[in-house]
Amino acid sequence: MKLGRSFATFGLFFWAFLTLFPLYWVIVTAFKAPPAVNGGPTYLPWIDFTPTLQAWRDIASGLRGNFIGTVTHSTLIGVTASLLATLFGSMAAYALVRFPFRVKLGAGLIFFAIAMGGYLVLLNYAGLSRSNSMLIAFSAALIISVLVNRMRLPGPVLGNEDIVFWFVSQRMFPPVVVAFALFLMYSELGKSGLTMIDTFWGMTLVYVAFSLPIVVWLMRDFFAALPIEVEEAALVENVPSWRIFVDIVLPMSTPGLAATFMITLAFVWNEFLFALFLTNSKWQTLPILVAGQNSQRGDEWWAVSAAVMFAIVPMIVMAAILGRLMRSGLMLGAIK
Amino acid sequence: MRNDPIKYFFIWPAFMIVLAMAIFPLIYSLSISFMNYRLIPPLPPKFNGFDNYAKLLSQPRFWSVIYTTSVIVVISVSLQYVIGFAVATALNAKIRGSSVFRVLLLMPMLIAPVAVALIARMILNPVIGPLDQFLTMFGFPDLPFLADKNWAMGSIIAVEVWQWTPFVILLMLAGLQTLPRDVYEAATLENASKWRQFWDITFPMLLPISVAIIFIRIIESFKIMDTVFVMTGGGPGIATETLTLFAYQEGFKKFNLGYTSALSFLFLIFIIIIGVIFLAIVKLYVEKRS
Repeated sequence: MKLGRSFATFGLFFWAFLTLFPLYWVIVTAFKAPPAVNGGPTYLPWIDFTPTLQAWRDIASGLRGNFIGTVTHSTLIGVTASLLATLFGSMAAYALVRFPFRVKLGAGLIFFAIAMGGYLVLLNYAGLSRSNSMLIAFSAALIISVLVNRMRLPGPVLGNEDIVFWFVSQRMFPPVVVAFALFLMYSELGKSGLTMIDTFWGMTLVYVAFSLPIVVWLMRDFFAALPIEVEEAALVENVPSWRIFVDIVLPMSTPGLAATFMITLAFVWNEFLFALFLTNSKWQTLPILVAGQNSQRGDEWWAVSAAVMFAIVPMIVMAAILGRLMRSGLMLGAIK
Repeated sequence: MRNDPIKYFFIWPAFMIVLAMAIFPLIYSLSISFMNYRLIPPLPPKFNGFDNYAKLLSQPRFWSVIYTTSVIVVISVSLQYVIGFAVATALNAKIRGSSVFRVLLLMPMLIAPVAVALIARMILNPVIGPLDQFLTMFGFPDLPFLADKNWAMGSIIAVEVWQWTPFVILLMLAGLQTLPRDVYEAATLENASKWRQFWDITFPMLLPISVAIIFIRIIESFKIMDTVFVMTGGGPGIATETLTLFAYQEGFKKFNLGYTSALSFLFLIFIIIIGVIFLAIVKLYVEKRS
């Protein structure tokens, strides 16, 4: 028993060492002078190398790309997208917990058929431009399928559980499928005047869409665990539903909302693939700039380390905050 | 459940955004995947049925990419699960300072994969890296961590394990904390060894959570791109090229749009097949146990 415990302690310390050493390495390297990097590994500041601010001066001078602008982009896009995703996702999650929904599978298939068929017909036979065909086909498919959903249709009816699954299953798609398609769609929209590639809203909308599954998933469990009595009492008093949501449900869920917001922010802050496909210079985000460090001016590892610090320090601060929130067992609810 | 038309107001914003930004692009790219559509040289798109798909399936590079990705996923997810379960069990055993460990262990998964990959390149560097120095101290030769095919795969897998084991630790720990105490007390009274307790109580009770965690990790791992993009760029040759990276190369180097769309759909189908097979195996296993 005692042996087992000391073995477990040893294992933990070993894993903690493996986790922390790379982080330690990047921090010390960011303060090394070039000879202390290129002459082979050096470990301890003031003992086997003298810390300098050389790398940070390189970054501040703009020698390694526009860091201030890029950090601003990442922050603006990240915070806006996470706020919107948390708001819309919570609204949807709440609706899916408290209200019954019925969507007919037939209506979904009709949406698919009209969106694809309508696009091809408008493009090839009506002589419309690609972006116009897309917009018209999408709106037509949406309106018709909503109307059709009210009619009697043969075939299965999807309930709340299925709708939640539909939301969450978006996470299963390999994002490259959508990233590439969005790149094509955005370029078509750009040709007809609506610039989406390399813009704030172009990026923010993508990130909202791809954060929504996580938000719906996490918040649904959170709302389902709330005591329904408070809401029922409010209903008896004839408080309208939106006021119940804003004044009662949201304040009760602050820890869950905060954790969800931070998880979403981390996802957007670190996201690489969409940024790679959909930005080029004006709204470039931090991961792209950091990934480019390697090739830009050769292996100046001291400066690369400083660049990496920009990307990871905000996330390490968040890990500390999240670690506290996680004790409320939020994540467990999500997996059940 | 109450009924109130306001429910539509609650659900429509999220529904619309997902429909417009995820579902419609998917439909659009499905329609392109049946066309011969290039940007360079610019030719008018022409319907060609399943040609793109047939061409891909007969290409050795496609299968090599599938193989590479699968190897990375299978090995790294297995290691993540085993190590993650072990660390979670250790953390659960009320060791002093385990709350500090918890925050520390969370960190890797919140760091951008591109940043992790750059740090890995630094540590694996044969001239300036500490790992090489450490190993040569024990008499190893300079190891070609990123230059040799097998070593490069190993390095990518190691980085994946480093970054994503915390996810398994976190969720397994949450699962361990829900287990009822009295079962263990009864088992201890009957003199069941810790090892037996683990296999007869802990493991079966955590099986549902384990399945969910492994499933999520498999799906997420198949998307791997940033790590490989920075660490090896798919090299040496195409030895470490993954599915997403291949799609990126095809789409943005060759601008063969129909082909790339078909590729991404094959990727989607492949993921669905893997998911279904995994769930079927799990179901078989669970039925056999009970």
